[in-house]
Amino acid sequence: MRQPEPSHRPLLAVGGLVFAGAVGTWLLLRRAAPKDEPKQVAAARALGAGAAILAFSVATDSALEHYRGSFENKAMFIAPAVSTITIAAAALTLLRPGTGRTAKGLVFAAATATGAAGVGFHVYDIARREGGFDLLNLFYHAPLGAPAAISLAGIFGLLSQRFERGETRLFGADGARLIAPFTAAALLGTVAEAGLLHFRGAFQNPAMVAPVTIPPVAAAALAASAIAPRLVPAARLLLEGTAVLGIAGPAFHAYGIHRNMGGWRNWSQMILQGPPLPAPPAFLGIAIVGLAMLPLLEGSA
Amino acid sequence: MSDAFRTPYADYDVLAKWDTPSWNDRTREVVRRRLEEVPGRRFLTEEEWRLLEAVTARLIPQPEREAPVPIVPWIDEMLFENRGPGFRYADMPPLRDAWRQGLAGIAGEARDRHGGDFESLPPAQQDEILTDVQHNCTDRRWWGDLPAGGFFLHLLLHETVAIYYSHPAAWSEIGYGGPASPRGYVRLGFDARDPWEAEERDV
Amino acid sequence: MSDVDAPRAKAGRAPDVFRSGGWIPMRGYADSEEVDFAIVGTGAGGGTLACKLAEAGFSVVAFEAGPFWRPLEDFASDEKAQGGLYWTDDRITGGADPIELGSNNSGRGVGGTTVHYTMIALRWRPEWFEARSKLGYARDWPIGFDELEPYYEEAEEALKVSGPVDYPWSRRRKRYPYREHEVNASGLVLARGCERLGITWSPLPLATLSAPRGMAHPCVYRGFCAYGCSTNAKQSVLVTFIPRAIAAGAEIRDHAMVGRIEMKDGRATGLLYHREGRWHRQKARHVVVAGYAIETPRLLLNSACPDFPDGLANDEGMVGTHLMCHSGPGVWGYLDEEIRSYKAPPCMAVTEHWNYDDKGKDFHGGYAFMSQGPLAAGWAQDVATNRGLWGMKLRQEMTRYNHSAGLRIVGEVEPRRENRVEIVPDEKDQFGLSIPRVTFSYSENDRRLTRHSIGSMRSVLEAAGARELWDDDDTSHLMGGCRMGDDPKDSVTNADGRTWAIPNLWICDGSLFPTSGGVNPSLTIQALACRIGDRISAMAKRGEL
Repeated sequence: MRQPEPSHRPLLAVGGLVFAGAVGTWLLLRRAAPKDEPKQVAAARALGAGAAILAFSVATDSALEHYRGSFENKAMFIAPAVSTITIAAAALTLLRPGTGRTAKGLVFAAATATGAAGVGFHVYDIARREGGFDLLNLFYHAPLGAPAAISLAGIFGLLSQRFERGETRLFGADGARLIAPFTAAALLGTVAEAGLLHFRGAFQNPAMVAPVTIPPVAAAALAASAIAPRLVPAARLLLEGTAVLGIAGPAFHAYGIHRNMGGWRNWSQMILQGPPLPAPPAFLGIAIVGLAMLPLLEGSA
Repeated sequence: MSDAFRTPYADYDVLAKWDTPSWNDRTREVVRRRLEEVPGRRFLTEEEWRLLEAVTARLIPQPEREAPVPIVPWIDEMLFENRGPGFRYADMPPLRDAWRQGLAGIAGEARDRHGGDFESLPPAQQDEILTDVQHNCTDRRWWGDLPAGGFFLHLLLHETVAIYYSHPAAWSEIGYGGPASPRGYVRLGFDARDPWEAEERDV
Repeated sequence: MSDVDAPRAKAGRAPDVFRSGGWIPMRGYADSEEVDFAIVGTGAGGGTLACKLAEAGFSVVAFEAGPFWRPLEDFASDEKAQGGLYWTDDRITGGADPIELGSNNSGRGVGGTTVHYTMIALRWRPEWFEARSKLGYARDWPIGFDELEPYYEEAEEALKVSGPVDYPWSRRRKRYPYREHEVNASGLVLARGCERLGITWSPLPLATLSAPRGMAHPCVYRGFCAYGCSTNAKQSVLVTFIPRAIAAGAEIRDHAMVGRIEMKDGRATGLLYHREGRWHRQKARHVVVAGYAIETPRLLLNSACPDFPDGLANDEGMVGTHLMCHSGPGVWGYLDEEIRSYKAPPCMAVTEHWNYDDKGKDFHGGYAFMSQGPLAAGWAQDVATNRGLWGMKLRQEMTRYNHSAGLRIVGEVEPRRENRVEIVPDEKDQFGLSIPRVTFSYSENDRRLTRHSIGSMRSVLEAAGARELWDDDDTSHLMGGCRMGDDPKDSVTNADGRTWAIPNLWICDGSLFPTSGGVNPSLTIQALACRIGDRISAMAKRGEL
């Protein structure tokens, strides 16, 4: 016999939020980029958008998680601070490509370095705990890969600056053909983190399978498109699916909090213990960058 | 023995959480009764009640409180309802008899040693008697078949301590989280404290 | 006050444990209707079996002396107010080492002891089923680990046990259904001590949810597990097997105290039970007794009749004998760090090292020890009575509560004939039934085991940085009293829980255990109940009932 199930009515609200979020994001991005602008400027904007969304996800997630860790170490303020500044710099690229180049360059470089240092800190934090690199600590303590998302935002930012300057080549090769597999790898990293945490939740809700099925295929298609541009349409569809997941995630997670003891009334516990609200938009940020590379790949064939 | 009491949680009051998600209706109902509906005497005699007041005041001294946490009313209620723990030791009489006999034993020791009531003795002499009761250094005449040490540990001290540490004032002074439903705790590790937990300060 | 003191499960409905004030439809049987199975007790044994038998299509009525709890509404976050979860009727405890009964090892209410257990869901060491032939002590069980393994799996799945991906001991083929919980500081003390000594430790597999399950919320780490779970995270029988049993057509009769088993021509014909102020008779084709290690023998002994003058199934004088508890000394100390052991389930980390490694032991058997999480009043009682502390010294000592941590064993105890449950003919309870007397003494081997364990716990705590160590003494769980076996001469039932003497009288609870093992018994009781359920169905198909 199945266990009695709670009312599914709140899922209607989840569906509504996702729909509104997806349409809203699409409209915003359309409005930000005029139709007739050169491909590389559009790519710069998209890289900026991706960087901004990623930075937003990291800023809120690290602020919450480091608050959970009571900012035990002063260095724990760095991640939310740097990623917040990164949001501003990346948003500038999205809205006004070509402005404030030096300042942005510094911010993106700082973000890249912060992420690398963060990974180091997190590795150290896990290593010193009872159980070491056991699943117990990987489930419940400093996530090893999460700080890399700040670096990723920084790198997307730095790349956006190259496109702003009209440089579409990278290390002597066609930029998009390098950025595509790099973005695919980043997507797989995010999948790994979501997969680990959804595994911790025993995939108790069927929707929890989505982020470990669609995005990996999207990553594969994106990477493959760099070599075989005929795969671009498939990659586009899959990346759009990934983007929708990034929008749907927080809505599902909000529903997850509602399903916990005390629901939203118990928010002071559940924004920390329930499913993380700010984490899923990372998928959206990466997907936008991937989507922006597709026209360039098509063109390079 | 010094009678000054110090706690590292002096500014923590578990009752401040009364209206937060840490307390639910059922818990509020139970604790409200504990705070507001302290029962009157129904089982013990007036003499036994007075004696037990003096004894519990030595077991859990509360010199710093104007209104000490009540203990005897709840023992009386338990005896009135004859509500035991679900067993009795083979060498002990039934619950009510054991308490009556035990109180008579303490009263007997006091009269025998100091020619007066236990409750009118100075604290040092009261403690001396209780220490002897705890260690079975008692006179068979006052105790009959009741093992004095067994009565002291398993009934008298066991019950007194349970009642005192079921009171919010006691929860606060030891920094105990107290009621926790629907909200429980997030931070579980070493030295990890949620904002709704007591903060320890140097004393 | 609430309606919990009167029957709730009646008139075709039972409380919905998942919805405040909600009801679920429940099939009802008339007393005169001869049901296939009348089960006495709704805990780990009886509740689980009621579900299995109802799902197999039998008509089932399960009797429970206590109330039908509504966890979301009835359970206060309060140690004292939750005293109603325990069996507190009169009992006498004696012997050289009298066992503390009541809150320590009994439950009263639908779900039985699982309503307030600490949810530790451990399998047995496989060799314990052949303790005599493989390890050279005590006796063999009439079934082996291999036979029980699928039922361990079934019970773990039914309880969605949250456990580590790699539990280092016993034997498993599949992952636990849910993932392990974060380990609290008190568990990390055990972990740190063990790691410094090079001893394996593990997060405990617990029957409390680490993720949502249907209407049940995941654990919020409120720490009141031993006083009833108000969130339904705890996968007690009350919120798992009982709703399933009712959905499959079983009737749960709460506030129904069974006084005797009625007999005719050497067969059980039904039960005499007390409900709503008077005695009733329920007719049944089969009777299953699942009242745990004291009430099960007590009911068999109290059911003595001319054909069975010494009590039912007691021709060989075995009923009530070979009672076991788990020895449970603890060691406590203070750490520099704040531990705050009131948070999260009381036991979150374990080492079963001394259950599996027999090198250097001066005793037979094994023990596991777990981290501990006492709440305020319980902790105060422990400190006061074990250390003889009172007065301002006690109050001052109690302010160090948040820095204390401790370990306690579940220690194997030998089965011995003289440790037993009897009835006291001249002392009656509120129903006019003779009350039980429990006699218990440790053996020399039991004492060597506890001494050894105190040494182990001390070294682990010291290695973890704890200071000012002190020991206490306690016991946990009850097992035996109606043990199963291969020989009618020295056991009460066969491997299926069927009594040798009366073919339609069965036993299904911890009293079946021939040995006690060194882990908490509930999962093994539930696995046995699942197996007995399947065996009964198979026998019914072959016409062997």
